[in-house]
Amino acid sequence: MTFNPLQQRGIPLDRQVRNWRELAVTPIDPDHIDPYTRCRIITMNGIEVEAVMFSHHMARHCPDAEVKRQLAEVRYTEAQQQKAVNWLLPGVSSVLETTIAYEQVAVDLTAWVARMEPDPYLKQAYQFGVLEDFDHLYRYANLYEMIEHRKAEAIVDQLTEVMPGRPTKAHHRHPADNVRDPYDRSRTDPLSKLHALTIMSAEQQTMNFYMNVGPTYMEPIARELYQEIGLIEEEHVTHYESLVDPGETWWEQLVNHEYNECYLYHSFMEQESDPKVKAIWELHLNMELEHLRIACDLMRRHDGREPEEILAPELPNVLTFEPNKEYIRTLIAEQLDLTTLGAGYVREAHERFEAMQQRLNSDGGPPSERVIAQHQELFNREYRIESEGAHPVPELREQY
Amino acid sequence: MTQTEPGQNPVRDSGRTSAGAQEDVVALLMRQHGDIRNLFDEVEQAEGDARREAFGRLVRLLAVHETAEEEIVHPYARRATAGGEGVVADRLEEERQAKEMLARLDGMDTDDPAFLPQLLELRTAVMEHARAEERYEFTHLRRAAEPGKLAALAKAVRAAETTAPTHPHPGVESAAANLAAGPLAAVMDRARDAARRAMKSGS
Repeated sequence: MTFNPLQQRGIPLDRQVRNWRELAVTPIDPDHIDPYTRCRIITMNGIEVEAVMFSHHMARHCPDAEVKRQLAEVRYTEAQQQKAVNWLLPGVSSVLETTIAYEQVAVDLTAWVARMEPDPYLKQAYQFGVLEDFDHLYRYANLYEMIEHRKAEAIVDQLTEVMPGRPTKAHHRHPADNVRDPYDRSRTDPLSKLHALTIMSAEQQTMNFYMNVGPTYMEPIARELYQEIGLIEEEHVTHYESLVDPGETWWEQLVNHEYNECYLYHSFMEQESDPKVKAIWELHLNMELEHLRIACDLMRRHDGREPEEILAPELPNVLTFEPNKEYIRTLIAEQLDLTTLGAGYVREAHERFEAMQQRLNSDGGPPSERVIAQHQELFNREYRIESEGAHPVPELREQY
Repeated sequence: MTQTEPGQNPVRDSGRTSAGAQEDVVALLMRQHGDIRNLFDEVEQAEGDARREAFGRLVRLLAVHETAEEEIVHPYARRATAGGEGVVADRLEEERQAKEMLARLDGMDTDDPAFLPQLLELRTAVMEHARAEERYEFTHLRRAAEPGKLAALAKAVRAAETTAPTHPHPGVESAAANLAAGPLAAVMDRARDAARRAMKSGS
């Protein structure tokens, strides 16, 4: 596949503003949609939220009024893109349903990126993180059945398994141990930059979502579980954002953002099964090509460099939502007991980790453990989807 | 640990999420919304006799659930919550429309090619209605009512649903032409009687 976004023409910026009718997209039907269509929507919403917030931060550091105006103009259309994408989600879905879909994104997006990542240190970072999101999916799925009498299978289908990963209670590390080492912007594969930006954006949106919807629940266990997992998502944002080289200039970062948006819209357009949603990916790709062209011009003018120096010669292989069941089972078997120490990983619970755990658990156990116990009390079993056989770790097989 | 210790969480007691003695009416109805959605899945995925049978169960569950809401939950919400009158009026209008769709479907052969599209229409209406109840009515119920009252309402709903005959005589539910005075109306009548008995014995 040869698609070089630098050589494509997009929609001129002055024709990108949409009217109300164009913004009023028809939401998906949650009971009949391909689960991966919903995953693509949630991913692109996270990407657009990051695009908007990055542009705001850049503007706040920018003394040049002309550049500020240019950023504002592009940012407005990105804000419209975010609305069009996120409004594909339907009002009839409950918050918990959407939450489970967020975790399916975290599992299958991070697993795919881990599989494709060329740099071993970065790959390890994704492998480490995916086992935690995988466990969150299991905790929320149990909450879902308790509150709504629905099985998470109706949301994730048979595409993603639901069973314990690295236990959520073990995700609460000393914050200093969440900071990783960055890649080197001058030496790393351009694909690695796209991966880091994508996963960081997705986790950031998950963090934002949980911190805002958590308190809308009335059930104490639900409120508490959203707090606990919301805090872990903050750890994940720290983990993934620290992978990005902080030496990248603002202009370079802007180009990387726009390039990544082209990459993802192109990828999702290639795989989308829903024609109405596919039309949105195609439209947005054509808008992003123009955003990229503008970002490249800014970089040439203000950074004195050619964007080709930092970008791949053509788009990488399409980023794909697909089942990663066996891959995740292998990671569970090999990496479940890892934690972080400094910028690396260890297998033993070290002193700083233990101190953090003691502080948090000093007056009662974590909600992530209680949700399973309460579910078990109510149904005499847990909720799991173990479509590929027994859990790879014997101690984590269901006891009842 | 299975429960929040008493007094540890002053906002809500955790018994509300379990099926224990303190079950509250909102938790119960929300779970039934899930059960209803599950049954829609079943009807859609089944064929022939299995679909007819699953649809029969869906009709009964809907009839019993909506009747219990109308007889027990809405009247309380109307009285006890601010703006309850308007909120309940909106819900009743949604229920009326859903019932019309249900009555049309109930007189139809489940193998009829027009059945599934109409079922999907009903499903959408029922889902939107259920979510609107959860967001605009049930939140206020929980805000306004004491835990004891919510538990009492749950008991009344349960009583109404168990007394209402949920298994009419076999054969009756598949009679295609049996519309106006058919099984739907009959189940609703019986559920209404049961709900009224439950409310009387509870007060």
